[in-house]
Amino acid sequence: MLDEDANVDEFSGQEPPTSVPISQPESELGQTRMEVAYGAGDGDDDAKAIVARKASMGVLYEQIYRPWDGELGPRWVRNYAIFRHHVYGIFSGKGHRHYNPFVRLSILIIFLTSLTPIAMIFLSVTISGGEGSDWLNRMWGVNRYNLWGQVLGYFPRNLCMWPLLTALVVGGMISDDRKNGTSAIYFSRPVTRTDYTAMKYLSSAVVLGFVIVFSYMLYYTSAIVFNGEGWAYLIDTLPIFLGGLLAGILLVITYTSIGMALSSVSQSRFFAAIGFLAIIFGTKVVALMIELIFDTTIFYILSPYDSLAHVGQWLVGIPANYEHSLALSIISIIIYNAASIGLLLTRVRSLEVTRE
Amino acid sequence: MSTKATPAVLLEKCSKWYGQVIGINDISLAIDGGVTGILGPNGAGKSTLFKLLMGRLKPSSGNVRLFGVDPWVSTSPYRRVGYVAETEKLYDWMTGHDFVSTLARLHGMTREEASERASHVLDFVGLGDVENKEIGKYSKGMRQRIKIAHALVHDPDLIILDEPLHGCDPIARTSIMSVIRDLGSQGKTVLVSSHILDEIERITEQIVILHNGRLLALGNLHAIRDLLDKHPHRILIRTENPRKLAEYFVTEDPVYGVRFAGEEALEVLTNDLSAAHNVLPRVIVDSGLKVTSIENPDDNLEALLRYLVGGAS
Amino acid sequence: MDKQGRGLAETVWTRLDRKAGAITELTIRQLRHRLSTWVVLAVGTLLLMSLLAMFIAGVRGGWEPIDNDGDSHDWDQDGYPAGQEFKYGSDPYDGFSFPGSGFFVQEGSFEWGSVGLYSGNHTWRYATGIFTYTWLDDSQIGGEEIIEVGSLKSCPEGELFEDFWIDWGDGCRMDVNRIAVHEASFVGNGTFRVQEGFYAEWGHFEDTFYVEPEPASNYIDEDDIDWTGDPNGINGFDDDGDCLRIGWPEDTEPDFWWGWDARHQPDRNGNGIPCDVAWISDSSGNIIQINPDDNVDEDPSEESLAYEDAHRAFIIGTGKIAFVMILGIFLPLFLSLGLVRDETENGTLHYLLSKPIHRGEFITYRILGYLIISGGFVLIMSLLMGLVTASLGPGDSIFRLNDMILWFGIAFATILALAAYGAIFNTLGLLSSRYGVYIALVIGVYEFVMAVLTLGGATLIPVLSVSHWTLQLIDSIVLIVWPNTIEMHLIATAFDLPSGIRAFWNPPVHTLGTDNPFISGLISVVVLLLITTMMILFGQAQFKRREIM
Repeated sequence: MLDEDANVDEFSGQEPPTSVPISQPESELGQTRMEVAYGAGDGDDDAKAIVARKASMGVLYEQIYRPWDGELGPRWVRNYAIFRHHVYGIFSGKGHRHYNPFVRLSILIIFLTSLTPIAMIFLSVTISGGEGSDWLNRMWGVNRYNLWGQVLGYFPRNLCMWPLLTALVVGGMISDDRKNGTSAIYFSRPVTRTDYTAMKYLSSAVVLGFVIVFSYMLYYTSAIVFNGEGWAYLIDTLPIFLGGLLAGILLVITYTSIGMALSSVSQSRFFAAIGFLAIIFGTKVVALMIELIFDTTIFYILSPYDSLAHVGQWLVGIPANYEHSLALSIISIIIYNAASIGLLLTRVRSLEVTRE
Repeated sequence: MSTKATPAVLLEKCSKWYGQVIGINDISLAIDGGVTGILGPNGAGKSTLFKLLMGRLKPSSGNVRLFGVDPWVSTSPYRRVGYVAETEKLYDWMTGHDFVSTLARLHGMTREEASERASHVLDFVGLGDVENKEIGKYSKGMRQRIKIAHALVHDPDLIILDEPLHGCDPIARTSIMSVIRDLGSQGKTVLVSSHILDEIERITEQIVILHNGRLLALGNLHAIRDLLDKHPHRILIRTENPRKLAEYFVTEDPVYGVRFAGEEALEVLTNDLSAAHNVLPRVIVDSGLKVTSIENPDDNLEALLRYLVGGAS
Repeated sequence: MDKQGRGLAETVWTRLDRKAGAITELTIRQLRHRLSTWVVLAVGTLLLMSLLAMFIAGVRGGWEPIDNDGDSHDWDQDGYPAGQEFKYGSDPYDGFSFPGSGFFVQEGSFEWGSVGLYSGNHTWRYATGIFTYTWLDDSQIGGEEIIEVGSLKSCPEGELFEDFWIDWGDGCRMDVNRIAVHEASFVGNGTFRVQEGFYAEWGHFEDTFYVEPEPASNYIDEDDIDWTGDPNGINGFDDDGDCLRIGWPEDTEPDFWWGWDARHQPDRNGNGIPCDVAWISDSSGNIIQINPDDNVDEDPSEESLAYEDAHRAFIIGTGKIAFVMILGIFLPLFLSLGLVRDETENGTLHYLLSKPIHRGEFITYRILGYLIISGGFVLIMSLLMGLVTASLGPGDSIFRLNDMILWFGIAFATILALAAYGAIFNTLGLLSSRYGVYIALVIGVYEFVMAVLTLGGATLIPVLSVSHWTLQLIDSIVLIVWPNTIEMHLIATAFDLPSGIRAFWNPPVHTLGTDNPFISGLISVVVLLLITTMMILFGQAQFKRREIM
């Protein structure tokens, strides 16, 4: 809750009421008391002065409320403040939402691992020529499969890192507020609940997007720069790249939706985090098991990851791993998002401002 | 087993510091029998003291003994100890009776014994009529009393209450105080902490004063005050002509000064309260002035602490 | 010591027992009062129910007989299944070659790469070029690479292979009496101009006669496994005759290298007996290897084997994936992380610890309480799964008792995993309230990945995980309950049958090289219990030294 306190200065919509003592200044009062307490001085010489202060028994303050009548910043400025508060926290804990050092470390590690292909491409350029370079380029160079793989494939990344990242980043977004009652900080200011939710959503999506989508774009651009590719190459690969980009954005949106919905359900960030992992992993392996035993891929529509992978395969134009129709996967993604956002909005609407 | 020779609570040169912060500083203390008030402002080390006694913390140096046993090593003395923690949280989903009887079973009672004892204790603290309500629906005073009830359920010889009156309304306060006094009159050793001195004053005369982790004073309230007689005291005398009366006082030996507290009041400053009181009747008679009241504004715990704290800090 | 005259031992033990009961009960009630517990258990139930629903639907729907050797297909679409074509020696990939089609007598061909014209009334084969005709046989319908004259589309404008392209074995109409073809066959009278760099040949069929096409079902499940039960006897019989090939026509020309039986070896296992199956057993009579000759027992009835295989695969798969990997990992994450940690955070720990109970005991009883809830759930679920699979499964008996035993084994393994994870996560929560939970999350993911690797057959790396030993234990229990699973697995591998067991149960792993499932099972149990005990002891040691604020 400490980390949320830092918000106060950011939403100075109203100034706090000021109070002005009617009678004498406080400092003298304090001095008087102190002298009485310690019996300072010899007594007689300053006795008169002390006795004269009748008001020392108590002070009444006249309460003057000066309403702040300045221009309220536009809505987007207020919203941007919320957004900024959550995103900057990754870099600096001071005055921004506190991210656990472990979460920051995980984000860093996951981001760096998702940049490995860039290092490989760089390596292939530096040792240019020869079989090693060729092999490196084949393995990590830009092609349909690698562009898809960068966001949706590569075993440890798609199945472990992205879900773990989402669980760590999104888990506490709303549940912390519910637990500590810090949502009051927002709701007692000119911020609507929808804005609050939208900004939290957006900030988590940006953090995830930074790792998932930004690393993807970095990968593509560095491949072009390192290899010194020309316009023809760009024209050839750009549609594939855009397809992968769209797939990555879809992934970020879907994961954020599910994670935020879980976060809004619970008071514990870990319930949300574990719940998210359970949904992603559980549906995936159960669908896999059903495919192996009953020889049908239809259960993969229950798995958000596989629906995204299916759509992603279509977007970058590689053959699908799934037998069921693409439309089902698209519908599955839409339903997951709609249900999650619906749940999120209802939960936030019913969020009590008092500490629950 | 219960040897009368060992005091219920014994601390020997006990210190506890948290990194750079000192919680308890070289305290030696033995308490046995009766109600003892542990006084001190927030952060004085009252809770640290209790946590040391309850084996929650390990003393950084020195020894802690509860009935002669080190509580950090062994939980056996807890059979004879009831502890009311500072924490406000309770299992809100339990009924009062459930809560007390479940904890009673941790003393090794059977389900039936525990249930019977729980009802008994809940009656004692005045929660008999709400024992089947969920704790979540209890008021603050009731929550404090259920905490006391769980500590009493095994009929302990030593009861430690950490801020039992905290946040209670006057009615709850009075009833909790009477419970504590009852316990004291039953011959149990009771430790009560508070930072509100008025509360302790109404419960007990035996006090321990802590400040900044140091033991400031220990013993009977009045005895301590007598020890403090050498400290500056004020005697407030209301009279029609304070200036005249002052002339008589300044010549007296125990009095080192006078002040005029308003039109009809005189403050006599002394370093030796009993001596001053000895000369007081004579001086008044000598002056022939009409005195309406004589007050000792420093003769209560607040003033006491202020002097002690002032001296110590 | 005791005023009521009870013995010391009795008092101490009964009291200990009461404390244990109280803390365990408190833990259970606490978990029961948390909504999340119910949500988690409900989701778990839903998961298992949906699996059961799939199972029941699978049983009710029955199994389509599977054509394991693929000879019921009519690849060249000439109306005869491949198996029948093999018998008559015709080419199953050639629409002009079918039982009764006779022999093709080649009259001539263009040389590869030459350009030329040839006229006449012929059967044209493998032709690429342009055919200008006076007559074209439009009765040839169906068959791979045979032009369907009636449904030819018009060619686009331009030159063949320069301005447009046609599919392999297809053609298009260029004019009223002119067609372009690409590697296609047809019958007609006219002039053929071969495309440069391509080929065509022409001739006619002799000795044609009519053969009634057999239904495809004749070639499904037509060669069952014949196993006498004695590895030294003569096993395996070529029921459909496609290995022995008695009465089949001699192959006049060698098969193409890509032909279906180009590498057909009637005595592949080299035991001197053509078309049999060598079942090799070890000294104790267990089958350890099966070497069939080609095309023997290659299309067994699904009734006997595949049903059982799928049934077992379902139980093993559900046990490993749903029970161990999902319930086993996520129940502890949800339920055990906060066993002591939450109490510390809330401050309610003070009530419990001010009682004469040792902190170490406290941890143990908390875990016990959690185990009763989670383990009870797992037990009930496995019982339910067992009742359904045992009564609906294949076989003659009304109730498959062995299923039930295996389900209890799965529940047992899962509960061991629950205990181990519970101890690990609880200890992590104790160690650091700030990082412990994050580390627990990472460990959960790690365990999941290790389980996936174990399923995939990895044996080395996953040894450092709880999930590996739990899955290993299930492998052993499967072998104890169904000793012939290993045989089924060998059969499925030897005869190349579709097998679900292979996906979830990897024979090299299941006995840890001891050849005795009891020993390997025991080792797994010991390892799991050791992990649990070590973690609890570690947690206790930590907790004992912990100062509680």
